[in-house]
Amino acid sequence: MGNPRLAIARRELGSLRKEKTIVLALAIQLFVAAFSSFLVVGLVSLYDPSAASYQVDVAVTGGEEAVNDLIVAIDGESGLAARPYPSADTAMTAFEERQVDAVVEASTGPNGRVQLVAIAPDSGVETTAVVVRLRDALRTLERNERAERSAFLSTNPLPVPPATESSPYFGFTYTVLVPLLLFLPVFIAGSLVVDSLTEEVARGTLELLRVAPVSFSAVVDGKLLAAGGLAPIQAVAWMALLQLNGTGIDNLTWLFGMVTGLTAVVVTLGATVSITAPDRRIAQLLYSLGVLLVFAGTSLLPLSPANSAARLALGTAGLSARLAVAGLVVVGLVSLVGLRVVVGRVDPNELG
Amino acid sequence: MSDHDSVRDDSTAADSPSSRFEGLRTRVVAHLRAVARIARWEVSRSAGTVDRKTIALGLVAALVAAGIAAGAVGSGVAIDQNLYRVGIASDSPYYDAVDQSSVLEPRPLSDPNVELVVSETHISVADTQTGRAAYQAYREAVQSYNERQMRLEANQSAAFPVVVTLQYRERGALVPAGSRVDGGNGGSAVSGDGSGTADGGDGSGADAGDGTGSAGSGTGVDSSDAAAADDTNIGASSLGGAAGLFGGDASGSPASISPPFPFASLVLAFAFLVPMNFVIQAYGSSILNERVNRRGELLLVAPISPGDIVAGKTLPYLAGMVGITVVIAAAIGGGPVSVAAVIPIGLLFLSSTFVGAMFARSFKELTFVTVTVSVFLTTYTFVPAIFTNVTPIALISPLTLVVRDLGGDAVSLGDFAFSVGPILLAAIVLFLLGTGVYREEDMFTQRSVPLKFLDALDSRISRPRSIATLSALSIPFVFIAELLAIAVLFVLPVDVTVPLVLVAVAVVEELAKSMHIYAAFEKARFARTIRVSLLLGALSGLGFFLGEKFTAIVQLVGLPSLTLGQAAFAPSGIGLATAAGLLVAPLVLHAVTASVTALGARRGKSTYALALVGAIGIHVVYNMQVVTNLG
Repeated sequence: MGNPRLAIARRELGSLRKEKTIVLALAIQLFVAAFSSFLVVGLVSLYDPSAASYQVDVAVTGGEEAVNDLIVAIDGESGLAARPYPSADTAMTAFEERQVDAVVEASTGPNGRVQLVAIAPDSGVETTAVVVRLRDALRTLERNERAERSAFLSTNPLPVPPATESSPYFGFTYTVLVPLLLFLPVFIAGSLVVDSLTEEVARGTLELLRVAPVSFSAVVDGKLLAAGGLAPIQAVAWMALLQLNGTGIDNLTWLFGMVTGLTAVVVTLGATVSITAPDRRIAQLLYSLGVLLVFAGTSLLPLSPANSAARLALGTAGLSARLAVAGLVVVGLVSLVGLRVVVGRVDPNELG
Repeated sequence: MSDHDSVRDDSTAADSPSSRFEGLRTRVVAHLRAVARIARWEVSRSAGTVDRKTIALGLVAALVAAGIAAGAVGSGVAIDQNLYRVGIASDSPYYDAVDQSSVLEPRPLSDPNVELVVSETHISVADTQTGRAAYQAYREAVQSYNERQMRLEANQSAAFPVVVTLQYRERGALVPAGSRVDGGNGGSAVSGDGSGTADGGDGSGADAGDGTGSAGSGTGVDSSDAAAADDTNIGASSLGGAAGLFGGDASGSPASISPPFPFASLVLAFAFLVPMNFVIQAYGSSILNERVNRRGELLLVAPISPGDIVAGKTLPYLAGMVGITVVIAAAIGGGPVSVAAVIPIGLLFLSSTFVGAMFARSFKELTFVTVTVSVFLTTYTFVPAIFTNVTPIALISPLTLVVRDLGGDAVSLGDFAFSVGPILLAAIVLFLLGTGVYREEDMFTQRSVPLKFLDALDSRISRPRSIATLSALSIPFVFIAELLAIAVLFVLPVDVTVPLVLVAVAVVEELAKSMHIYAAFEKARFARTIRVSLLLGALSGLGFFLGEKFTAIVQLVGLPSLTLGQAAFAPSGIGLATAAGLLVAPLVLHAVTASVTALGARRGKSTYALALVGAIGIHVVYNMQVVTNLG
């Protein structure tokens, strides 16, 4: 009959397949992941400050000297254009009539400082786009003004290299989206283990073990195998999807190893919690808290899984991130072995 | 649910008005007692499953998690630490800037595995996206390093020669250039005709307003500059807020300006919806527990109606949700409007979890159902709220109301009803459906989810008239599905979205009109004759038509002013007072297409599917006709 563990794992997977809602749930997850990445990368790069397609017109008004400096700074920024207006009133009217996207009123303040009042529209994403560009222009102005006053400074600021085009959400993709997609299946795998074990307890089916030629630890092993095996496959599938989407993913093998190690830790947690507190409500709550603990705890380490995953996927990871993956796999193995010892001492009929 | 049952029951009450009222009162009190008893039992039983060991374990876990979270915030561990490697000599003037940046990792010049090399004379960048991102990070690192150096300067007015005060102003609806005399700060603008969708083409329209064009004689605006037409202004954007939420007016050096986070609604969605996920986990377990090993049987045979049982079991979880929502709303500064807007979402969470737990065969299936529910509802509430200040479509998400409430804007009753109404109705209908299968033959059997769904629909059908009622009750779901389709397709160009929306609308509406007919035929509720099919089809069409009139509230928020809104809702005859004859057309359409599917459903699954495709085809053609004729 072969290995009972494999038989149990097959049975678990079979029940997952039979309940077709899982396909639906996976499809919806796919939809959400695709949609959110489209939303973040697509929609936001629509308003990318360096994209020339969206031009921000800035009405400039106020004292003549300050205005001239301001115009130089604003026109030097790509995607920004300055329009001088004779008075603040006319500038505001133009703003209301949507002929300009922002208004900057300049005057000379105490100590010869340049005083600016900037007015930006209050309308969500557009506001962000306008303010981001305006800030860049004003920082240029600040640099120019600072250079004129360099005689009064003890240290001179370092020359800032010229700006180039780069997606501001490039980092976001790797530091948030990639870890999210890698670790979400891991979380679900542990949750599956909790469900599977608490259900056996709730239905009283573990009592059958007394007459069955299978040990409790074989049952637990089979369940861990089924649930835990799915997570790395899903994670790799997500990464392949990102590849298709044009986001390069490096070090796929290392990422796979990392997810596998983490899955081992998390399914162990799930199994431990369900053996300790076999009521599903309590078990799920404790499990969620425990996972939170694992992820929050590891995020404090200098080589947190999220950070290592980002660097590995980006291809900028050194030896240290790879050592972290190896360490994670070792921790996973140790926790699995520990679980076996614990499970070996538990009488399944005492649960619940 | 108890009041629904009592309302239904009172048709059989005694004759005289006073005794009838008395009877009603006793029944209501009895129902309330039963609900309260079950709620108490649910609470005490849940408390009973928790022993001291688990409480201690949970507390320790929560405390450690909180401690770690506080530690993470305090020590500022960055998720993007050492993301890019920079080759730089340790005596370079830029070394400190690179070293102090958490994103950059300084490496010796000899290291070949770097994204960026900073030598004395030049900077070389790997020609990849990563390289460019690394360069951008390097540039920012140098800027913030300069900033820190300048803060140490004695002469602060020379170090920070520019002081900026940033203000956010709302702009009123788009008004033609020159029609405005005062230079005030918006809000009081002429309400406009609203239909200003993205037709303000940029290139060609740029120099139109110069002389005689639509821009009349301006009020002293520099006419040579006034020409440039602003691009894409969609509808009225009198909704306020997101900028005030996280940005706010600020003053300081240019570097201290922080642009507002554009996805405020995301933060809100997480703040309100994450705790809900914990609650529905427990709630779903509790419902499914009743179904495991026929545990709920004793309760079923007790002299309590299923409605009371469901209400009683739901009440503690609803109370918990309301409590959490109030606390979160208070924490982020929201008022009663925020709470009132979020609670219907909570109800929808509970009701769909309830239906899921009634349908699911195992805990695992329940987990996936729960994940699906929370993912779908989170998308539904979060995505539209992004466009809070852009378009009225955002109002389909109650989170928009929260964003506006936080921004200090008033929320009109019409807006509130539009936003919350469909969700509330959908929650009630879901509870009704689930309560319909809260009976022995469905609770303790292992049937697949679609079969259970048909059972749930069938349990609400007793006579042909019920078909019309069910069609009308499907309206909130139709409404939610169509609005979600619009919200999702909103980002695409109008030429593409209008046909897509028309097809989506046809699919959703035809399904809503025919699924219960199919269920009734499958359960042999009616004779499978042509005459009965036509009758059921006509009734379904009528019920749907009447229910659809409910969508008249769409007008309250002016959604039809959006081209997409018109595409979706004009075919239903809303807002066509000028063409009264067209009012009959949708009724005929619904009756005809529903009859087509009913004829198909009579024969079985495959003919039903075929007939459904046909009906959708007819519906799409009709929609196209209406939209092109009106457009």
